[in-house]
Amino acid sequence: MARLTQLRHAKLYLVTDDATPADRLPGLISLAVAGGVDLVQLRRKHSDPAELSGVARECLGAAHAGGALFIVDDHVALAAEIGADGVHLGQTDLDPAGARSQLGWELLVGLSTHSKAQVVRAAGQPVDYISAGPVHATPTKPGRAAVGLDHVSVAAARATVPVVAIGGLGRGTVGEAVAAGADMVAVVREICQADEPGRVAAQLRQEVEAASPWLRFRVNGQRRKCRAGSSIQDFLRLWEVPLDGVVVERNGEILRSSELAAQLLTENDELEVVHLVGGGSADG
Amino acid sequence: MAESGLRLGGLELSSRLIHGTGKFPSPAVLAAAIAASGAEMITVAVRRLHLDGDHHSELAELDLGAYRILPNTAGAKTAGESVRLARLARAAGLSDFIKIEVVGDEETLLPDPIATLEATRELVADGFIVLPYASDDVALSLRLAEAGAAAVMPGAAPIGSTLGVLNPHNLRAIIQRSPVPVIVDAGLGSPSDATRVMEWGAAGVLVNTGIAHARDPVAMAAAFAAGVKAGREGFLAGLAEGRPAAGYGASSPGGGLPEPTARIPD
Repeated sequence: MARLTQLRHAKLYLVTDDATPADRLPGLISLAVAGGVDLVQLRRKHSDPAELSGVARECLGAAHAGGALFIVDDHVALAAEIGADGVHLGQTDLDPAGARSQLGWELLVGLSTHSKAQVVRAAGQPVDYISAGPVHATPTKPGRAAVGLDHVSVAAARATVPVVAIGGLGRGTVGEAVAAGADMVAVVREICQADEPGRVAAQLRQEVEAASPWLRFRVNGQRRKCRAGSSIQDFLRLWEVPLDGVVVERNGEILRSSELAAQLLTENDELEVVHLVGGGSADG
Repeated sequence: MAESGLRLGGLELSSRLIHGTGKFPSPAVLAAAIAASGAEMITVAVRRLHLDGDHHSELAELDLGAYRILPNTAGAKTAGESVRLARLARAAGLSDFIKIEVVGDEETLLPDPIATLEATRELVADGFIVLPYASDDVALSLRLAEAGAAAVMPGAAPIGSTLGVLNPHNLRAIIQRSPVPVIVDAGLGSPSDATRVMEWGAAGVLVNTGIAHARDPVAMAAAFAAGVKAGREGFLAGLAEGRPAAGYGASSPGGGLPEPTARIPD
């Protein structure tokens, strides 16, 4: 799956901490990804960059083995060197345009935001997602004031890219971040310092899913999702499906193309989307 | 005999060649081949759309509105699947025509005659103009016509085989006996194959692989068109040949069969 598509579907984002010994990170990531983490960011503010390369490769392997995206905090050159899926930048790191010029457009670029002004500025920058936080005060970012869920809602309303809520989130609080509009929630200590990171990830996943304003349904046998209130036509437009010659069958009932705009998606819908293709016969 | 077009379900097509759209090297070659063939009717398949794909269609270079569309149910393995594909195809809004195709054997892709007949009945009742692709069986062809098929489409050889006419006697008998137009479908490999069945009186042919897999598909499309035309003109002119293929003497004695209503005494 293309990185952007995978990013669009992601819900649970793990950021590693500095407290976990480097040699434990790959195992931690494997468990967390198996539990339901979609995206892993390697953040080691206090590590020696030379040491980081080896650890980063192992962590990337663990994330990819479980089907998760792997992003490196801050170190643009390292992300490129090890073949990571992207880089995450803080407001005081290299700016997104600078990172792009080094990484090209294939890699993802994420950017932290802490204010409405930064969200607005990000809209004009070449970023694929933004984070919004810290939602709660956190020892991971000492001295930074919590911006609360309001900032998440502002970011969700104004951003043109997916928004990750971050900052002191864990079990019991990830749901309200999703309800505030976050597309993804990021957790740090809650997973990194857990005795059973896989189980905690699964619990977080469950809370996020339960709070999600997304509808889940199946299209041609595959799980898909869309924001509540979307019509079938809205969904197809998101996927840039040309509507000419497309036929949709919903729960066994065939819909005419003129009906697609009025038909709202509902939870657990079974859609078959077909189109006319070249073919003379069974082998064509 | 004065020439007229191919009459199908209320349409009259001047070209008796129906063009397939599968397995062409590119959408541009497909479009050029159809143009070179002069075909007015093309057959297309119905498939699941891959959301993650680029939604590219082999039909991209074609103006579908410029042709009569004959959707097919290729891929169906049961009558029910075929009926469903037919209804989906009709919902696309391009045509009430349907070419029923129900594969009965995965190895040879030969059609399932029983499922084909069942699907024909159901789709005729549902208002479709039904063209069933069928095995080259005389009795089956008659049953399909009786069930309301607008034409029957016996195969000359297995789909995609380009083997030409494998059983000329059966095919000729179907052409002579069918009360509805016979369009020979599947397996025609060369323009002369098309000429041959058209000379016998076939109403038309459907060609895909024979054109698509030719070294020069565009030139081959024109060659098939010429073959169809030559065969049709030969048929209209009346072939100077002997007795027709149908009407053999039975090897068992005729008559003397028990009355259909005869009962075994209690």
